[in-house]
Amino acid sequence: MREVNLEINEGEFVILAGRSGCGKSTLLRCFNGLIPHFYDGEMIGKVEVCGLDTRQHPPYILSQYAGMVFQNPDNQLFALTVEADIAFALENLSFPRDEIKKRVNQALEIMGIEELRDKSTLELSGGQKQKVAIASILAMHPKILLLDEPTSSLDPFSAKQLIDTIIDLNQKHRITILIAEHRLEMLLPYASRIIIIDNGRIVLDGNPREILEKHDVIPYGVSVPRIVKVVTYLKKTLNNSLIPWTPLSVEEFVDIIRRWEKK
Amino acid sequence: MSTILRGLQFYPGKTVIHKLDPRVKLVISLLLMATAALYLEVTIITIVVVIEALLSIVAKVFSRWARTVYGAAPLIILVFIANFLFKLSMPGQSLSFQSIYESLRLAYRLVAFLASFSIFFLTTTPEELGMALTKMKVPYMYTFAFISAIRFTPILAEELQSIVDAQKSRGLELEKGNMITRLRRYIPILVPLMVNVLRRSYELAEAIEVKCFGAKKNRTYLKELKMTTKDWITLSASIVLFTVAICIRYFSRISIP
Amino acid sequence: MIVFENVEYVYPNGFKALNGINLEVNSGEVVALMGENGAGKTTLLKHLNGLLKPTSGRVLIDGVDTRHSTVASLSRKVGIVFQNAEDMFFSPTIQEEIAFALNNFHFPGDVIKKRVDWALKFMELEEYGEKSPFLLSGGEKKRLALAIILAWSPDIVALDEPTVGQDILQKEKMIQIIRQANQQGKTIIISSHDVEFIAELKPRIILMSKGRIVRDGPSEEVLTDIPVLQECRLLPPQIVSLTSKLDFLGLKPKLARPEEVANEIARRVRHLVNYS
Repeated sequence: MREVNLEINEGEFVILAGRSGCGKSTLLRCFNGLIPHFYDGEMIGKVEVCGLDTRQHPPYILSQYAGMVFQNPDNQLFALTVEADIAFALENLSFPRDEIKKRVNQALEIMGIEELRDKSTLELSGGQKQKVAIASILAMHPKILLLDEPTSSLDPFSAKQLIDTIIDLNQKHRITILIAEHRLEMLLPYASRIIIIDNGRIVLDGNPREILEKHDVIPYGVSVPRIVKVVTYLKKTLNNSLIPWTPLSVEEFVDIIRRWEKK
Repeated sequence: MSTILRGLQFYPGKTVIHKLDPRVKLVISLLLMATAALYLEVTIITIVVVIEALLSIVAKVFSRWARTVYGAAPLIILVFIANFLFKLSMPGQSLSFQSIYESLRLAYRLVAFLASFSIFFLTTTPEELGMALTKMKVPYMYTFAFISAIRFTPILAEELQSIVDAQKSRGLELEKGNMITRLRRYIPILVPLMVNVLRRSYELAEAIEVKCFGAKKNRTYLKELKMTTKDWITLSASIVLFTVAICIRYFSRISIP
Repeated sequence: MIVFENVEYVYPNGFKALNGINLEVNSGEVVALMGENGAGKTTLLKHLNGLLKPTSGRVLIDGVDTRHSTVASLSRKVGIVFQNAEDMFFSPTIQEEIAFALNNFHFPGDVIKKRVDWALKFMELEEYGEKSPFLLSGGEKKRLALAIILAWSPDIVALDEPTVGQDILQKEKMIQIIRQANQQGKTIIISSHDVEFIAELKPRIILMSKGRIVRDGPSEEVLTDIPVLQECRLLPPQIVSLTSKLDFLGLKPKLARPEEVANEIARRVRHLVNYS
């Protein structure tokens, strides 16, 4: 990481993008104390999460404010049943049994996986495992959810389902989302902010629409949705009043055209 | 080998036996084993095996239980042969019906041993076993290691298969060659497996850190084992029966075939 | 070149992964196997080099029945790059890693050296020759996996989910490599659920669902058949989705370049303006 200056407010939905190895995973780990406590190396500067200085607090405290979900579904599930796994972190934190029960029920409900409660973790599909992983973190009631390429190993359908759930967490439950991803088409319409990282430095930071409109992001390893390319070409041939703002999803695009057609 | 392993796997069930406290089941298995250890008489051993068979029927796992016993046949035959040959090598012994019979009995006793533990594993989930260990005040570290072993063994097995597939696809032939060359051929299997295990451990360590493992000394538990009336009754009955068995063995003059 | 005749495959646990596969792939084709996880794609790939042999029916590779061949001999012709290929490294240096298969296939020593050098160059790994494969970055490891297979120049190259976890630049490189290998005469089979990647490549597509082939045809046809794609739990490429939803403008679902679509929309828009 080089000279990173950043401020993220409550309720934001932030995408961290950039080529493989650009530093997005490293940045994520700064928010829950894995850096500096879990990794060797040198950290210069200060990171504050919910008012806590990450250098002064261990990961097990910070994880209750900023929970993290990883890429590989199998390497973050520890118990043999779904219910036991969701309870795992709370048990480690010595929560009283009633509170654990309550939070496990809540987490199952929020993620929409009540029917998986008694299932063995060995029988779940990839998408289901990731939902359980998120539920087990939500049980700690974090204000922030850090996600490191959570859909990497999932097929498109399961990926979409997972992303829809994550969007829900932000919109309905006001959880701040920081997600590092390569598969951006499904996320872009819902993100309030995109931060593009190149070689450990933040090169672009702002509203996804504006960033994609004004900048060529492909050299940074960021995939531009095909429809945005269509829009770029359209703007060249027709005047700009047809497309007042850049649609980031097929629905938005169609909507713009329909409105124009009515006029 | 895989038949024995399958006999030890857990399958969910709702029978009376499944619902018993795992500690009670453990005690029953141990008592059955102890009874078999006390006696060499075929009648008693048969009674023990019949009890085990009945338990497996009640638990609706009879076919799987039978398969374990069947699968252990090679081992049992091996024990029989070993014991018989050992007997023969002793001075003064000769090939007689008596010596065959004695070796057979020994092997038969082994059946009772294996069968009693099979029942336990067939009706207890690893989770319940973990809870039993916790209740018996085993430090959490060990219970967690046990659960993790169960949790990750299938994943490692898949990984191993993956590696074997990949290396076979690069022309590796594992069946060829003598003992020494064959061992060398396993390097492309073992090294990637080790690397995979190490890498996985690293990722697991990260994940467990964010789940606050080891954060507090007094860990709490969502589920706890509690003995019910049924458990106590079953436990008492088993102890009584076992006591009777001891008495017959040591204090009575009844001769048993 | 590759023929599947009524192939069925049942796993030891009873799961029927392939349920009557009939397939013919000719030399030099580029084919994509698509479908959700569990549809049978990887199982099918493993039948190409004999790792799995059909429980019913047969697979012919250049006329040779896979049931009567060893994996080693079939692999000489069919190179499979598995999804987690980076997990198969074990050698002290990258050169030795690439040479492993060449040794197994009994290539003469001087040829091995040439092939290793060529493979390193082709996959842009020359500077790393003496390095340990474990010290490479994720992207470099994937390139090494490809180098390993391409080094022995199999006639058929099969790739299982080659774009998982890759950024756009790495994917573009992958497309280049596939096209180059195909130009050299190789038959390419790709198993993928990355719809945009396949849309860019425009191969023949074989859609699978629950162990059966549901559709087999050119990309332009298969990727625009939205109902069938949904049946196989695949999302259509964005361009196809867009053109199908602009039906009120008179557009039809089409697999086209963004520029073409833009021109088409512009045309219709001007058309409407002229008539208003």
